[in-house]
Amino acid sequence: MDYQSMLSLALPFGVAFAAIGSGYGLGRAVGSAMEAIGRQPEAAGKIQTAMIIGAALIEALTIYALVVFFILQGKIGG
Amino acid sequence: MPNSNLGLNFLARTLRTIGVVLLVFLPFGVYYFGTYTALAVFSGGVWGIVNLIFLSAVVRSAIRPEGIETARLVVALLVKFPLLYLAGYALLKVPQFSPLNLLIGFSICLAVLALKALGRALLGLDKGPNKSDNLGEAVR
Repeated sequence: MDYQSMLSLALPFGVAFAAIGSGYGLGRAVGSAMEAIGRQPEAAGKIQTAMIIGAALIEALTIYALVVFFILQGKIGG
Repeated sequence: MPNSNLGLNFLARTLRTIGVVLLVFLPFGVYYFGTYTALAVFSGGVWGIVNLIFLSAVVRSAIRPEGIETARLVVALLVKFPLLYLAGYALLKVPQFSPLNLLIGFSICLAVLALKALGRALLGLDKGPNKSDNLGEAVR
C-alpha cells in the first residue's frame, strides 16, 4: 500500500475519531454541568461560563482535526 | 480554584480582548507577513469570535435552571451549525488563505480565552467588580 492510499484511508478515520472523542467529551461536560446546576441553581452563571470555556476547547480539537484533514487532503493525488 | 469569579461578563470581556488582539495584529501582520497571511489569521480569529458568541448562546439557552429557552436555542443552533460551519468551509476553500494561517487565527481566540481563565483562576488577575452580565446583550 503506497503513501497516498494510506493517507486517504487514515484521514477519514482521524476526523471520525476526533469527532467521537469530542462528542463524548461534550456529552460528559454537559451532563456534569446540568447536574451541577441542578444541585446549585444560584451558581448557574459560573457553571455556564466554565461550560462554555470547556466546550470551546473541546470543539477546537475537532476543528483542528478538520483543518488538518484539509491540509493533508491536498497531498492525496487525484 | 481560589479566585473563580467566572461570571458571564468574563466572556464578554474575553471577546473584547480577542478583538483588540486581532486588530493590533492586523497592521503588523500585513507589514511583516503579507496581506493574505494577515487577512487569513484575522479571518480565522473573527470566525473564532463568532463561534464563541454562538456557542455561549447555545449553552446559555439550553443549560439553565429555568429550563430550555426553545426559540433562542433553535435560532442559535441554526446559525451556529449550518451557517457558521459553511462560512468556515468557505474560508478554508479561499485559495489565497492558507488553512494553517486560519488555524493560527482561530487558536488566538483559544489562547486568549485559556490565558484569561488561567490568569483569573491561578493568579487572581482580571478581578474587577461584576458590573453586569452583558454577554446576553451582546448575543441578542
